Amino acid sequence: MKAAPFDYVEAGSADEAVFLLGEAGSDAAILAGGQTLMPLLSLRMTNPSVLVDINPANDMAGVSRGEHGIRIGARTRQCDAMRDPMVRNCVPALAQAIAHVGHYQTRARGTVGGSIALGEPAAEQPATAVAMGATIELRSGRGTRLVPAREFYVGPYMTTRADDEVLVAVHFPEWHEDTQVVVREVARRPGDFALVGLIMLLDIRQSKIERAGIGWFGMGPTPMAAPLVETALVGRFLSELDPRGLAQTASSQLEPSDDLHATSLYRRTVAQRMFERSLQTLAGKIAA
Amino acid sequence: MSLHFIEFELNGRTVEGMTDARRTLLDYLRTDEGCTGPHGGCEHGVCGACTVLLDGQAVRSCLMLAVQANGKRVETVESLASENGELHPIQQMFREEFALQCGFCTPGFLMTLAALDRTEPRPDAEEMRAALSGHLCRCTGYQGILRVVDRLAEERR
Amino acid sequence: MNEHTTITGARFIGERVHRKEDGRLLTGRGTYIDDVVVAGMLHAAFVRSNVARGRITRLDTSRAKDMPGVAAVYTAADLDRLNCSFSNAVFDMPGCPAPDDGLLARSDVRFVGQPIVIVVAESRAVAEDAAAVVEVEYTTEQAVVGIAAAKTGAPVHDGFANNLVNAQDSGPNDEIDKVFAGAAHVVEETVRNCRQAHMPMETRGLVVSPDGTGDLTIHRACQSPQVSALQVAQIFKLEQGQVRVIAKDVGGAFGLKMTSQRDEMAVVAAAILLRRPVKWIEDRLENLVAAGQSREDQMHVRLAFDADHRLLAADVDYDCDFGAFPYAIQSSASLVTPMFPGPYHLPHYRWKAQAWYTNTNGLAPYRGPWMLEMLAREIMFDVAARKMGVDPLELRRKNIIGKGEQPFQMPSGIVLTDVSPRETMEMTVGAIDIAAFRREQAEARKEGRYLGLGIANGIEPTTVSFGYFASDVAHVRVEANGRVTAMTTTFSQGHGTATSLAQIIAERLGVSFEDVTVVEGDSSRTGFGPGAGGSRQAVAGGGAAMIASDKLRDKIQRIAAYAYNASPESIRIEGGVITVEGSPEIRSSVAAIAQLAYAAPDRLPPDMELGLETHHRYQPPPMVFANATHACICEVDVDTGKVSILRWIAGSDCGEMINPGIVEGQIAGGVVQGIGGVLFEHAPYDEAGQPMAVTLKDYLLPTALNVPRIEYKHMCTPSSTPGGFKGVGEGGAMISPPTLVNAIADALAPFGKTWVEMPLSPDRIICGIVD
Repeated sequence: MKAAPFDYVEAGSADEAVFLLGEAGSDAAILAGGQTLMPLLSLRMTNPSVLVDINPANDMAGVSRGEHGIRIGARTRQCDAMRDPMVRNCVPALAQAIAHVGHYQTRARGTVGGSIALGEPAAEQPATAVAMGATIELRSGRGTRLVPAREFYVGPYMTTRADDEVLVAVHFPEWHEDTQVVVREVARRPGDFALVGLIMLLDIRQSKIERAGIGWFGMGPTPMAAPLVETALVGRFLSELDPRGLAQTASSQLEPSDDLHATSLYRRTVAQRMFERSLQTLAGKIAA
Repeated sequence: MSLHFIEFELNGRTVEGMTDARRTLLDYLRTDEGCTGPHGGCEHGVCGACTVLLDGQAVRSCLMLAVQANGKRVETVESLASENGELHPIQQMFREEFALQCGFCTPGFLMTLAALDRTEPRPDAEEMRAALSGHLCRCTGYQGILRVVDRLAEERR
Repeated sequence: MNEHTTITGARFIGERVHRKEDGRLLTGRGTYIDDVVVAGMLHAAFVRSNVARGRITRLDTSRAKDMPGVAAVYTAADLDRLNCSFSNAVFDMPGCPAPDDGLLARSDVRFVGQPIVIVVAESRAVAEDAAAVVEVEYTTEQAVVGIAAAKTGAPVHDGFANNLVNAQDSGPNDEIDKVFAGAAHVVEETVRNCRQAHMPMETRGLVVSPDGTGDLTIHRACQSPQVSALQVAQIFKLEQGQVRVIAKDVGGAFGLKMTSQRDEMAVVAAAILLRRPVKWIEDRLENLVAAGQSREDQMHVRLAFDADHRLLAADVDYDCDFGAFPYAIQSSASLVTPMFPGPYHLPHYRWKAQAWYTNTNGLAPYRGPWMLEMLAREIMFDVAARKMGVDPLELRRKNIIGKGEQPFQMPSGIVLTDVSPRETMEMTVGAIDIAAFRREQAEARKEGRYLGLGIANGIEPTTVSFGYFASDVAHVRVEANGRVTAMTTTFSQGHGTATSLAQIIAERLGVSFEDVTVVEGDSSRTGFGPGAGGSRQAVAGGGAAMIASDKLRDKIQRIAAYAYNASPESIRIEGGVITVEGSPEIRSSVAAIAQLAYAAPDRLPPDMELGLETHHRYQPPPMVFANATHACICEVDVDTGKVSILRWIAGSDCGEMINPGIVEGQIAGGVVQGIGGVLFEHAPYDEAGQPMAVTLKDYLLPTALNVPRIEYKHMCTPSSTPGGFKGVGEGGAMISPPTLVNAIADALAPFGKTWVEMPLSPDRIICGIVD
């Protein structure tokens, strides 16, 4: 399994990456962590003529606070993001989600931006971005634009990123420090793609839900938001919630497909239980 | 297809050479540097047999391009035993625990455990076991490897 | 064994001696097939069919041939210049017509992955570049996929009337129907296993070097260099002496690398045509698509019990999917129905067995190829137990045979000896406080947690020794410097045979373990032997090594006796040092005796042949039986369908163990493969004959986080072979699936479903409960 020939160029900065990508046209691919792109190249499932390596672009890595939240440079390694104090304190959902991503060896190279840009429907980080209402920063020769994560994913591995745009960072809004975070995943083995996955943030103050953010993974062609359920949750007291009813609503909004590893029936059944139990556990925890 | 000059540190010595862009680090190490310790079990980043250390981190060398090793520090299983052939303690544990049979996956496991062994703060048994999820073995049923992790964790305390 | 063979030195047999192989394997200095480099070697890649069934309407290799760096592009027509035809003497079944004998597809294709074109170039990457521009067009036909389709579908092979490979049955049996009609309890189900891949960590591969005179030196990842050489010689009509196959380290095989599929032989053909060395290393995609697979079989089972829960009758109908080009015609079907009765009394037995061609990857023998007999029987025992309201262990206790009941003739005519099924079962279950478990299980159910206990018993026919597997040879010699070299027909792909045999030889000769070097892996160094397969090397190779060593020891004693004017029985050998009982002043060495043997003919007994070397070709009995009982406790999460294995006890009677560390390793590897086959591993095809699990993202193996810490219990009923050894390689893989399935079924018993179809994936469990 050897890749087809391609040219390789290094981008020492975000601007250089933008320039090189613009030059190369639609036939180029960004090489970030390589954990997804390299297998695709080896299997000859993708055939770019140019690889633009952003690993040397240090200005594309790092965690900082900005006007749109915690800004995580696209090239930030997953293992670094997971351990970063600002991420752990301010965006704990992401830190918890990354712990489920791949393996110790893949997190050493895999990047946050790479996963966000790929839009694997059963991946943790895109779902976290959707759940939290993150914003994706795209840069091209035409300028920089910010796209809400909830508008970014349009199909399996399909995003609204134009061919000449480089995903340079992801901005995760800071939720209130008392926000309850739920990261649940059922996978065949640790590190596998999720059969069913749920990221849920509930900002609960004095037992009242002020804000809710939900992102499913493995449950549709993209990471799936759940606006109906979020609306049903906001303004309610935990004690008056009907976890089973809400779980049914949540599950009914989803149309997961059958694949080699699970059927739609499995996914909906497990998703419903996962949601119900998550709410019950949260309610129990807050009550205690 | 572009051709690149690369220079990097391999098992303590500086090496240099030319590589096509598309060569993986695994293939370059095995063919151009005679480092046949890392093995190609899948070439798509799942089995872990190709694991090497890159700047001290365990990575899948089949998922890196040779050109990306430029300026980096690479360590393969060949670096673990001492110059006079004395096995590294982890290698010796593998032997004692019958943690290998065909040996094809073994260099990969050894490099992940070597990286964990050097990590500060030192990971506990659960964290080390979790890191084993990135490796496949078909011969041993992992029994001896898990016993090695037990012993490494025990040593810590 | 001769009367002088009294062991006076150190004991190595039975010890956990550290392996000789580990030094090089741990330091990355093993020599696997991809490590082999031959000057001037080229690299091969294949163009393979991406349709399961069709006619090739256009094949254009011109662009590939023109690509820089390409040495040759060959099709079936090119290979016809060589007058070669594919055959597999080791496994071909007499009376079964062989499908198309071409190495490459001619005018049609019969499974996805079938090789059509071989490209040879300066590198694998360039060969793949060229392969990518070969143009192939097909007209496609409806593929025949699965056993049901095979029974009624169009023949997979031209000129065949149907897809039946062969059919056998036990003959007319009027009485059994009456037994079923009158039985107190009857259970009936179809147990279906799922297609699995061997998945050795190292794929297949070979380097073929023609030397210009028509001789071939082939490095091959194999299970036996001798079998490999035999097959090449037969296919290419060469003299056996013209073909030398060499292998040093092989990264696992499990049956896949025994004989060659057509693609490997196409590499040989390419090397011969090109007159250049050619290397081919299978990639993982090819391995999962085209290498050969196993375990797609099923058995319709009816069991009848009397009111006392004694087994009265079994009536079974077995079907096996052989794929399009099987290379294990004999191994699977032939043992399933004979072994199905297992270690139980079974008064009435009727069986049918059929094997079918389909448009899929061909059957290759996989560790315990006939294991469906254990899966089906042990699952059905538990199904019956639940139906009859009796404990599964009690049901087995009522029907199992024990040591005192042997020789025991099974309904198939096979006679069991030297096994201890009842005793092994009691030993294994004795390690569990079952009453306490049942209490824990009941409490857990109240909390919505589902724990289960599963048990399985099995007889393992080890040391297959029919046909080409009938014997192994060991040449053992003491060199002039007193160290020992043994050349054997055993071969390790992780088995540690060099270590095991060195233990035997060192102990029998009286030398130190370090002084014995066992050389395997070169077809030119010994006569024919079948190498690995059929759980046979400890017995066959061990037996040959033991008897050869005993002969050699006898000679050493007689030379020493003559030299020191003592009786041979008084000669003691330990760690290579020779002393004479009763004459403490005499101290010599094996090295000194070797010196006499090679360089001092006058000091030898009259008429004694010079030198200190011998060989023995050992033929084991037709079968050497081992037996096992495994027990497993698991928890099934009924919210997610995931199974956690909490405890695993592997009880086995594998006779005398040469090296318990190696034995337990074999058991463990098999157990985990079996766990994979129940929970994770499945290589299905869609209706169009497209394989669906073609990378390791989809073909899932157990990892270290999915396996229990296996507890081993050993019973020892020695076999009647030298050393009392038995085989152990396959047993774990055969018995572990029913053990786990029974535990899962026990856990899920409150849901009232029957679990007879593999894999028991989370999806199958949840959907099975919910439906």
